[in-house]
Amino acid sequence: VTETFDAVIVGAGISGALIAKQLGLKGKKVLVLEAGPENPPNINAFLQRFYISLAKVPEIPYPPETFTPPGGSTLTNPGTWNAGRPTSLTLDADNWQDPSEAYLIQKGPLAFASTYDRVGGGTTRHWLGTSLRFVPNDFTMRTTYGREIDWPFGYDTLEPWYGKAEWEIGVSADTADQAYLGITFEPKYSYPMPAIPLSMVDNAVSTGINGLSVDNISLSVTSTPQARNSQPYQSRRVCAGNTNCIPICPIQAKYDASVTLNDALETGNVQVRYQTVANDIVVDGNGRVTQVNYITYAQENGPPTGTGSVAAKVFVLAAHAIETPKLLLMSKNGGRTPNGVANSSGQVGKNLMDHPLFLAWALMPSNVYPYRGPLSTSGIENLRDGAFRSERAAYRIEIGNEGWNFPINDPYTTTLDFINGSNASQLNPGSQALFGSNLVGALNGVFTRQFRLGFLVEQTADASNTVGLSSITDHLGLPRPLITYNISDYTLKGLLSAQQTATTIFNQLGAKQFTTPATPGDPSAVPLPGGGLIKYFGSGHVVGTYRMGTDKTQSVTDPNQRSWDHPNLFLTGSGVFPTIATANPTLTIAALSLMAANTILTTDLR
Amino acid sequence: MSDMDLFVGLSSALTGIAQEQLAPTVDPLNVKQAYFDQAKTDPAFAQMLQIYAANQSKPPDQIADIILNQSGNAVRYLGRAVMLEWYTGSWYPPASLQTSSPNPNNVVSADAYTTGWMWNVAQAHPMGYSNLHFGYWSSPPPSLNDYTGGGAS
Repeated sequence: VTETFDAVIVGAGISGALIAKQLGLKGKKVLVLEAGPENPPNINAFLQRFYISLAKVPEIPYPPETFTPPGGSTLTNPGTWNAGRPTSLTLDADNWQDPSEAYLIQKGPLAFASTYDRVGGGTTRHWLGTSLRFVPNDFTMRTTYGREIDWPFGYDTLEPWYGKAEWEIGVSADTADQAYLGITFEPKYSYPMPAIPLSMVDNAVSTGINGLSVDNISLSVTSTPQARNSQPYQSRRVCAGNTNCIPICPIQAKYDASVTLNDALETGNVQVRYQTVANDIVVDGNGRVTQVNYITYAQENGPPTGTGSVAAKVFVLAAHAIETPKLLLMSKNGGRTPNGVANSSGQVGKNLMDHPLFLAWALMPSNVYPYRGPLSTSGIENLRDGAFRSERAAYRIEIGNEGWNFPINDPYTTTLDFINGSNASQLNPGSQALFGSNLVGALNGVFTRQFRLGFLVEQTADASNTVGLSSITDHLGLPRPLITYNISDYTLKGLLSAQQTATTIFNQLGAKQFTTPATPGDPSAVPLPGGGLIKYFGSGHVVGTYRMGTDKTQSVTDPNQRSWDHPNLFLTGSGVFPTIATANPTLTIAALSLMAANTILTTDLR
Repeated sequence: MSDMDLFVGLSSALTGIAQEQLAPTVDPLNVKQAYFDQAKTDPAFAQMLQIYAANQSKPPDQIADIILNQSGNAVRYLGRAVMLEWYTGSWYPPASLQTSSPNPNNVVSADAYTTGWMWNVAQAHPMGYSNLHFGYWSSPPPSLNDYTGGGAS
């Protein structure tokens, strides 16, 4: 007998957790299937793995083991994982297309440079916590600028859901700071906690760019809304500035979805099954989803331990923008859905997006004391919208508090330079090998002045950027994601503008720039029309691939995130975004997920 | 004087950090032992300690110069590896330091990571390990001397 629930949700990340909690609070019986393992009793196990790892990349604290043996330097073959995931350690020229190291099967021409996690809490385990709302024109790109496509609704529709999401996850900000570029708030609205104080880096940039304009737009520094506590909230502590939001906040002052998952469990109506990999969505002759089939395992690289299926009135796929389309495409129903479930439009897996990130770094003329505070506490948001969007991609500028850690893995690289007489950092041009007080003084003199800017460029939704099924499989025999990825001219123009703006800002600040050019052969570098390359990084913002819309021939879900093809199937998460805009996507994922939960409760499970 | 005393004295001269800061009298973490044990695996270790023992009455910078610049490559690169242990918490094998792109072999221990001196000379704290309080990042940190104990001793 197949078990039956009111709702089955695939994926225990922020979207699935929020929906499970809302349904559970209303007494609905919910089962969440999570491909990854259960969280340890406390985060110390994750933290210890971070401390002893040489490569402190975003995914390193979390299972599966990135290296075999653990702590070694040999990357685990993703074909041995039951629930694999990408790692930023496989973006080098010599391994990005090597399936024995890289989980994603990348066909290029460029590398998709972002990663995600399959674990309780999902990728919010290592998110930064930036909780920006979209600006109103992000929803009307076609109407306003003749570019891209409009969302099926505007900012006004999402506004109340943004507010609910901010209270659900706990965002620290001040509405007066955030009311820019047309962003509005409901009457009497306030964020649940006061803003996080600006860092000394932020204040130096803010003072230094006073009066500076780019594209006739005056620039200013704005405090970032952050899902980290400025007051005790939800039984979690106040941020202590561990400067480690990515990969792991040691004190859980930063929200992650395991918080909501625990709330969901406390309703008594929600169950989570870990190490349970959904592998088939079963549809009946009337187009209704009847069950989800799954495979279980006990060890991350061990044999499968069983199979099963669960039935429900409503199904929600919330497995993020790569695993969700993969699951849809895998589900053929004996040929009745030959192109996969929910795919009559042919749009499943298309329009994969990220924020290609242009990274620029410099030394301030005076001490700003980085490596202190949350990783980022402010940004320059003025260039998120403007008339230029008819010609080039917009971007936001994130100001980093972690010195040159992101750009060159400092303080390691510069320390090695000054001890071993090298110049990888460019800060030791004489390649001096120092010791004693000279060493202390040299390191102090540069570390206290380092800062970086990250430009998150809006990527166009391109049908040719896709998630498909590879014939190369994981340890359960399931296809691994097949990725094609490129950067459009419009997006490239945004990257080039970012590069120019970085120089403009550094000059205005009197800061000396050290940004290095892209290395030939780097798969995350775009060839420029006039020769040369521009390097981009992944922002970890995996978006697109099952977009919502008002035309069922051009979109996968309706404006309620309900599959056009299957009336009891919801697809949630950043995959539904028709466009990526410039805001970090998680707050919008949360707002949309709360909207979807409301739809489910007021229609399907009324 | 024990080998550990020699190791700590030598480490202070090389790193520019006061002995009392490297190895406090009350030292529950005792990372010096982990660094000592790791460095002792190198064949030049005994020689390096002997050189220090014979020169320990000299000024710290002179001692460091003798170790790093006047005692041959085996002692020089082991000396640098010891400095890197204290600064980064990671073990860079001396052989790797003689290549064009040196790589660490391992993090010596979790405590080694969270006590690395590169963070202190930045007047900061290890990423992911802080005993500071909300909002500290808005104000300047304590002075460099407060972190380093005033230099080698």
